Amino acid sequence: MNRDNLNHPRNEEGALWSIVGYLISGLLIWGGIGYGLDQWLGTSYFLLLGMLLGAGAAIYLVWLRFGRE
Amino acid sequence: MTGSLNVIGYGLAAVGPALAVGMIFAAYISGVARQPESRSVLQPIAFLGFALAEALALFGLVLAFVL
Amino acid sequence: MILLAAEDEGFQPPGVADFNLPPIFGDNPYTTKPIFLAFLSVILISVFFIAASRKALIMPSKLQFAGESVYGFVRNNLGQEIIGHQFMRFVPYLFTLFTFILTNNIFGIVPFLQFPTMSRVSFPYVLALITFVVFHYVGIRHKGLLAYIKEIMFPPGVPKPIYVILTPIEISTYLLVRPLTLSLRLFANMFAGHLLLLVFFLGGDHLLQGVIGLKLVAPFAFAFGIALTFFEFIVQCLQAYIFTLLTAMFIAGALADEH
Repeated sequence: MNRDNLNHPRNEEGALWSIVGYLISGLLIWGGIGYGLDQWLGTSYFLLLGMLLGAGAAIYLVWLRFGRE
Repeated sequence: MTGSLNVIGYGLAAVGPALAVGMIFAAYISGVARQPESRSVLQPIAFLGFALAEALALFGLVLAFVL
Repeated sequence: MILLAAEDEGFQPPGVADFNLPPIFGDNPYTTKPIFLAFLSVILISVFFIAASRKALIMPSKLQFAGESVYGFVRNNLGQEIIGHQFMRFVPYLFTLFTFILTNNIFGIVPFLQFPTMSRVSFPYVLALITFVVFHYVGIRHKGLLAYIKEIMFPPGVPKPIYVILTPIEISTYLLVRPLTLSLRLFANMFAGHLLLLVFFLGGDHLLQGVIGLKLVAPFAFAFGIALTFFEFIVQCLQAYIFTLLTAMFIAGALADEH
C-alpha cells in the first residue's frame, strides 16, 4: 500500500479492507486447493490443512505489508 | 421451518471474533488518544491483532459453507 | 428459507423476489426501473451541476455554494489528501463516481422512486470493474509493466521458496478479491437496507389489517420504519464515500513508490 502517508488517519480504513481481502483470498485459494485434493483423493484432511496454510500465509503477508517497520 | 444448523453455528462462532476486534480497536484508540506519537508503534500491532481475530471469523464462515 | 405457516397468516415476508422488478414496456428486459433510475440520476446530476456552475460568481449563490462544496469535498478530502501531488488527474473520475453512487443510493428513500439502483448487483460490478481497470492502468503506466507485476506479486524480504505460497494469494487479492469486495460491499448494504425498510413498512401495513390489538402496535412499526429511513440515509452517504475512498486508495497504492 501507500507508504508515503501511512500515518494519515484515513489510510487505516483502506489498510483494514486490504487485510480482510488478503485473509479472504488466502483462505479461498489454499482452502480451495485442499478441497479439490480432498475431492480427487477421497480424503478429508487436505481442506483443513489448506485453510490453515492459507490463513497462516495471509497473516504473514499482512505482517510483510503492514506490520514491519 | 427449514434452515441450516451450520448458519446458526457460524452466527454463534462470529460473536468471539466480533468482541475481539472491538476490544483490539478500543485499546488502540485509547492508546493513540493518550499518546498520539505512539501511533506508528501501535498501528502494526493493532493490524496484526485484527488480522488474527478476523482470520478466525473467516475460518468459521468458510467451514459453515463447506462442512 | 423460513416458511412460518405462510398459508394461514397470509403475510408474505419480503425477499429476493421484491428486487426482480418487471419490465415497464412490454417484454423488453432493458426497460426495468433500475435502468431508468440510473439514467434519471445522470440527468439530475448533469442539470444540477450545470445550473450550479453556469453563473460562477465571486459571491456564490446558494446553488453554486452547494455544488462547490460537494466538489470541494471530493477534491480535497478524497483526492488531495489521499492520492497526493498528482491528484488533479483523478478528480473527474472520483467526482463522477461519488455523485453517481450517492444519487443512486439516495433514490432508495426518495418517495415514489424508492429503489436503490445499487441493490441490483450488476451496477456495482460495472463500477468496480471500471475502478479495477483504472488503478491497474495507472500502476502500469507509472512503473512499467514488469516492475508493477513484480511489486504486486513478490513482496520484498521473503525467502524464495515462500513465494510459492504467497504469490497465488497476492494475485487473487489484486485481480479478484479487491474488485469483488468493493462491489459486494456496496451491493449488500443497499440490498439489506432496502429489505429492512420493506420489512417494517409491509409488516406495519399487514398489522393494520389485523384485529384491534394488532392495529394498536402498527404505529410502532411505522415509527421504526421512519427512524430506519434516516439511518438508511446515513448508510447511503457512507457507502458512496467508502467506495470513492477505496478507489482513491487503490490509485494511491498504484502510484506509490516502494521505499
